[in-house]
Amino acid sequence: MRKVAITRFAQSPGAESRENLMDFTYRVSKEVLDKAGLKRSEVGCVMIASSDVFHSGLSCANAVDWDGSGAFMIEGTRTEDSMYAVIYACLRILSGHFDTVLVTSIIKGSENPDNDTLTGFFADPFYMRPLGINETTAAAIQMREYLQRYKITEEQCAKVAVKNLGNALFNPNAHIRKRVTVDDVLKSGTVSDPLKSLECAPKSEGVASVLLAAEDQAKKFTDKPVWIKGFGSSMDHFNLGDRNLLNGQLPVAARRAYQMAGIRNPRKEIDLAELCEPYAFQELLWCEKLGFCGEGEGGKLIDSGATQMNGTLPVNPSGGVLAMNPYVSRGLYRVIEAAMQIRGRAGEHQVDKKVKTALAHGTCGFAGQSHSLVILEG
Amino acid sequence: MGKAVAVIGTGQTRHGRRNDVSYPELVREAVKVALIDAGITPKDIEGVVTGTMPSMMEGVSDTHFYFADALCEVGKPVLKVESCGSTGQSIAHCGYYWVASGLADLVLVVGMEKMFEGDGQATMTTVADPWFMKPFSAGAPGVFTMQAMEWMHRFNIPEDQAREAAALISVTHHDSALDNPYAHIKIKVSIEDAKNAPIITYPVRLLDVCPTSDGACAVVLASEEKAKKICKKPAWIKGVGFRGEEFFLGESNKSIWPSATEAAQHAYQQAGIKNPLKELDVAEVYNPFTYQEMIFYECFGFCPRGKSPDYVLKGTFSMAGALPCDPSGGVLCTNPIGASGLIRLAEAARQVTGKAGARQVEGAKLALSHAMGGIDQFNGVTIVGAKL
Repeated sequence: MRKVAITRFAQSPGAESRENLMDFTYRVSKEVLDKAGLKRSEVGCVMIASSDVFHSGLSCANAVDWDGSGAFMIEGTRTEDSMYAVIYACLRILSGHFDTVLVTSIIKGSENPDNDTLTGFFADPFYMRPLGINETTAAAIQMREYLQRYKITEEQCAKVAVKNLGNALFNPNAHIRKRVTVDDVLKSGTVSDPLKSLECAPKSEGVASVLLAAEDQAKKFTDKPVWIKGFGSSMDHFNLGDRNLLNGQLPVAARRAYQMAGIRNPRKEIDLAELCEPYAFQELLWCEKLGFCGEGEGGKLIDSGATQMNGTLPVNPSGGVLAMNPYVSRGLYRVIEAAMQIRGRAGEHQVDKKVKTALAHGTCGFAGQSHSLVILEG
Repeated sequence: MGKAVAVIGTGQTRHGRRNDVSYPELVREAVKVALIDAGITPKDIEGVVTGTMPSMMEGVSDTHFYFADALCEVGKPVLKVESCGSTGQSIAHCGYYWVASGLADLVLVVGMEKMFEGDGQATMTTVADPWFMKPFSAGAPGVFTMQAMEWMHRFNIPEDQAREAAALISVTHHDSALDNPYAHIKIKVSIEDAKNAPIITYPVRLLDVCPTSDGACAVVLASEEKAKKICKKPAWIKGVGFRGEEFFLGESNKSIWPSATEAAQHAYQQAGIKNPLKELDVAEVYNPFTYQEMIFYECFGFCPRGKSPDYVLKGTFSMAGALPCDPSGGVLCTNPIGASGLIRLAEAARQVTGKAGARQVEGAKLALSHAMGGIDQFNGVTIVGAKL
């Protein structure tokens, strides 16, 4: 099988931008091509990730995104989520039909209504929507179950926000960057019990772009390719009542990715993880499901300090989704951050330890209905 | 290049106003038929690809969540791919690359739309940007009519001749739909009916325009090894191509339509097709508007530029002609948008495997399927053949 490399990438900051959607997209895609020294017309395929709902009130997101992302009159398509875009781009390269795929993910949160006004549209009109189910209320149900089942404390969950917002202070692109204490988080106001305001991700801008290339091409574009060793995804049932919210499809998705990457002991073999945690407690739960600690031990894991920037398994040194939540793009930001850490060029938020293997994770849907992950290696 | 990929099963719902089922039930109806046709169970599926029109159409977004159970997605990797009207072809291409990559042997591809839940024209108006295009692009007919006028003027096509040809296309397709058990609009129309139907946007009249339909389509794609093992007559995917042009309608030349032309060229190259009119046996062209269908004939190389009406009036594209187009009745008679492009592939696959029933083109071996999307912005093409 062919090997797929991440060669060059670029990302926009998360704060509100004055640029229009098309220019905003163009600037980031162009930066990647310029870094790679590749002409637009030489790109094999352009893969756009954008969403019809999170899209400035426009339908058919691919239509307005087409020009800015560089897809004019070359092979291209659009997926609804940026992790899907990365996976689909890999499939296209693995098929042998394409040597290069430019993946560009687009969202301009400042032009959108509140995230949950939009995630509420994931709900069916008959049963879940009348109950007010959206991404946040679904996460609150999941968090309550998590606290009760495993005796995880609210303080332990708050620690995730403290860690990630603190890490974000060193990431110039992060949207929310501040030093907060556990007490600040616990007193930040209840959004949907037991979720506090600082435990919920913001609404951010975010255009991110990555040039993927087949092994024989990668060296042309970079001296430090980062290899995609494995990927996996899985989908859960739709109705929250049909699901085990504490043991969903993340282990299934992880098993697929680990198997492809040849990882047997994730806790030992993975050096760093960038996880998609729109709600603080989810970082703890996802760590359990990824095999970084035992079942119900997510609280102990954060207490141990292992997931801190200088820990044995740093999680979200970028600040994660709590610090910046460009909804559709948040998965691709994780991939880029993981690749930066492997290359040792993450700037001020570069972790101390040597990173050889990193995991990037994305999730969307209610309480993690869909999970995807990618394993990267230097 | 890549592994060979085959269509081994297709499924479609009844189309029309489907108040008898919920949206997920509608989807399941197509999935069930496709799985039975392929002789597999939900357990056998290794991946699912799905897509629809924008969420405003039915008021539910990211329906790959809502349809998780209906689509047999649970516990499986899923990809949600969308490109407006061309979604049907885009999801088929995704399934194709998935199997071609060697990472899956059986992928289920499903497109759907339940248009009577919402307002299709209002939805399509939100594809335009709010400042320049939206004020004058009221839904699909306005845009496609401008294109038809541009084309007629560019090639000096007499309006009477184009009108006559469009009417013949309408009659032919409405006749064909009578032979298609899945078709939505089943009426017998005459040339006079078509020419005198109420004007929608001049020169386009009611019988030149597709309906809005509820419906879903599912296709099972398989690798070569799998297809040979479990399917007697697979339809092999010979070539795929997709192109998109500028977002702003005024920036490109829609009379020669580069995206349609090059998407077909890309697919022809892979399939080794040099003379499409001669080599193709049947084509399922995405034809929501009769005039637009004629532009596609030219883009796809079925006839020279500006000569479509001549060829249509000669009967080249009728059932008994050299290259029958849309023997299913096409989008003109059935249009659940997110499914329409995939229905074209399903119909093409049925034609090359001799499963098209009363609408079968005798001895069809090589077929083109196609879909168009956006404000005339996107085109996707898939070629299928009876031989590997």
